[in-house]
Order: sequence, then C-alpha cells, then structure tokens
Amino acid sequence: MSMMKRLTLAAFGAIAMLQVSPLQAQQATEIRLTYSQGQFQPSQVSAPADKPIAFRIKNLDAKAMEFESSSLRVEKVVAAGTEGVVNVRALKPGRYEFYDDFNEKARGALTVQ
Amino acid sequence: MRWAIPSGRLHTTALCAIACLFACANGTARAEDASSWRELETKYIFGFTTGSGIGLEGEKEFTVESLGRFGKRDGSYAATETKYEFEFTPSQFIQIEFGALGSTHNISGVTGLDDRSQAALAGAFAEFRYLAIERTSNNPLSVTLAVEPTVRRIDETSGERVRNFEFETTVNADIELMRNRLYAGFNLLYEPEVTQTAIGDTQREAAFGGSAALSVRVVSNVLIGGEVWYLRHYDAANLTSFTGDAVMLGPTLYVQFTPKIFMVAAWNTQVWGREIGNPVSLNLAEFQRNRAKLKFAWEF
Repeated sequence: MSMMKRLTLAAFGAIAMLQVSPLQAQQATEIRLTYSQGQFQPSQVSAPADKPIAFRIKNLDAKAMEFESSSLRVEKVVAAGTEGVVNVRALKPGRYEFYDDFNEKARGALTVQ
Repeated sequence: MRWAIPSGRLHTTALCAIACLFACANGTARAEDASSWRELETKYIFGFTTGSGIGLEGEKEFTVESLGRFGKRDGSYAATETKYEFEFTPSQFIQIEFGALGSTHNISGVTGLDDRSQAALAGAFAEFRYLAIERTSNNPLSVTLAVEPTVRRIDETSGERVRNFEFETTVNADIELMRNRLYAGFNLLYEPEVTQTAIGDTQREAAFGGSAALSVRVVSNVLIGGEVWYLRHYDAANLTSFTGDAVMLGPTLYVQFTPKIFMVAAWNTQVWGREIGNPVSLNLAEFQRNRAKLKFAWEF
C-alpha cells in the first residue's frame, strides 16, 4: 500500500474515532423555545455544562424561520406553524448566541454553567 | 504579463496598503458597536490563511475559488487554478468538501518552462476538516485539523500533462482578540506530492510552512486585514532536500453580501526569498512573484 493510501486511511480512522464521544449517549437537556412575532420566547435560556442539549423550537409565525448559531454550530429551518428540534453536543460553560437567520432582530442566548 | 512596478516599490506599496487598511479599520471600528453584531464564521476571513471554522451542522455551500499565480524570473507567467467546490457539515465537529479543478496557463519566454496558452480541466480534490479545539466565550482559541488529497492531470506550475497526487495537511488556528472585532489566524502547512511526467519521470517534492494573519471587522459585514506566509520547498516528501524558501505578504478582504452569500479576496507579494545554489533575490523557481485569491460562496 502506498504512503498516500496509508495516510488517507489513517486520517479517516482518526476522524471516525474522534467523532465518537461518550457524552453523546447522555440524556439531553431539553430547551423549549417559541418563535412568535419575530422574537424568541424566552430569549435567555440556560443549561448545565457537559450534557447534550435539544432545542425544541415552535414557530407560531406565518412564515418560516431559521434557527441558527455560529457558536453552537447548528442551523435548521422551521416552517410556519411547525416545530423543529435541534440537537447540540455537550457544551462547555459559556454564553452561546442564537438567532433567526431570516430576521436580523430575532436573537437570544444560551448560558451554560 | 510583465509587472511595470519595480518589486521594491511593490513591497512598499503593499505595506502601506496594509497600514492604511488598519488605520481605516480602527477609525470605523470605534464608530460602531460590535456587541450588537452576530458572531462570525472565521474560516474565510484571513485570505490565503484558513481559519478554524467548519460551518454549521446541516449547512451546505457551493463555492468558486480562483487562485492566480503571476510572475517568474523572466518572460511572462500567469497561471490560475479554480476550485468548483461543494462543502457540507454533517456534524458539529466535521466538515467535508470536494470538487473539480480547472486551470489556465499563459506562459511565454520563462526559462525552464515551455510556452503555452491553455485552459483545462485539471483534476479533483476532497477535504476533511476536524474541529479539535472549539472556541467558547471563555476560550478565544479554536483549532481545526485538515487534510486535502488532490489529483491533477495538469501540472500546477508548468501546465504540462502529468499525473500528480498531493496530500495537503494543515493546522488552522484562530483567536478572537477582541469580541466580534479583531481576529488573528495561524496556519501550519505540510504538502507532500508526487508527480509522474509525460515521459515517465517520477518527481517527489513537498512544501512546508506557516502563516500569520490579522483581520479587523470594520463594519458588521466587512473584514479587512493582512497576512504573511513563510514557505519552504523540498525535492523530497520527507523534507530532506531543501531547495529554497520565500516570504509572501499582502492584504485580505472578506465581504458578506447577504447572510448566505459572501466573497473573499487576497493578494500576496513575495517580499523575500532565496534559491539554494542561485544567489539571486527572491525565489521565483519554486514560488511566484505574486499570487491572488478570489472566492465567491453561496450557502443553502
């Protein structure tokens, strides 16, 4: 096997191993958000550190919204009048902002402690 | 293409341009409140230097990225390589990219290279990125490891028909120095490759180096900055046969047109270089006098 093939296989193997985290198997902390009149309710939420989180977002508005966060590294479009679930990895303590990518003014933050 | 500006003056111009950009950045930065800005994805804000960002889980992106290399010791030299790229982020730690390469070569009167004027489908590539250290509000440092295997049928430098296999390995790190405002990026690069020429010769070589970049967010959707690269070239994949090195320096620009569309532009000029066994200024055997990058991306 050539050095190139061995390096490629090693890289794939390393990435696959790093992906498997025991924390993923933990029970997720559920955070319920409502999106109405272009705002998140509540807009400030909190969760414990080192546990996965599941955002459950109910969009009550008449148009779609996109739940997005650069620091949480997630995005999901939630159609009008529907509910979407966004699963987030176990987080370290800190403040993580989220927003509606379709609406500059709709913002919120998750505090992990 | 022959450059009308003498290289010394070009270097001074590049340095002045960077200084002006930072002066403008400081003035504009003071006038705007960065705390109201959204957080930024850092992958593309440093020009040729790649930030640690891996995108958002579920995000897909199509990009067209052209890299131009201009100027050799003599004659006229212009070569471009364009990536037509699809990238996606299947998890909150991994990003995958792949695509096709197109190239153009316009070479005339350059010692050691055949004259040619051509455009071709040059090859294909894939990239795998793993976020090893993530930034939080308590930790400004973020680090991503990336590997990019590439296959080419057209030689990057000469435009000749070849079989080339490259395995670029990089460490992409960045630090948020001022919240939502000022970022520093660092890359470490190891790029071994093997090339089989049309007459059956096999050539092994490698590039090794690193970069440092600074980028200032002057308004919420525009970043300007500068970067410096130090690159070494070897005629062996295991870094045993050193042939020369070079320092590239230049300004960078990032513009977010809409939440889903952005562009990147960068220009690097070789400000110092040496060829082993050839006492001339700059290294124009393995590197170019100038290089440029222009990228457009559409997220969906």
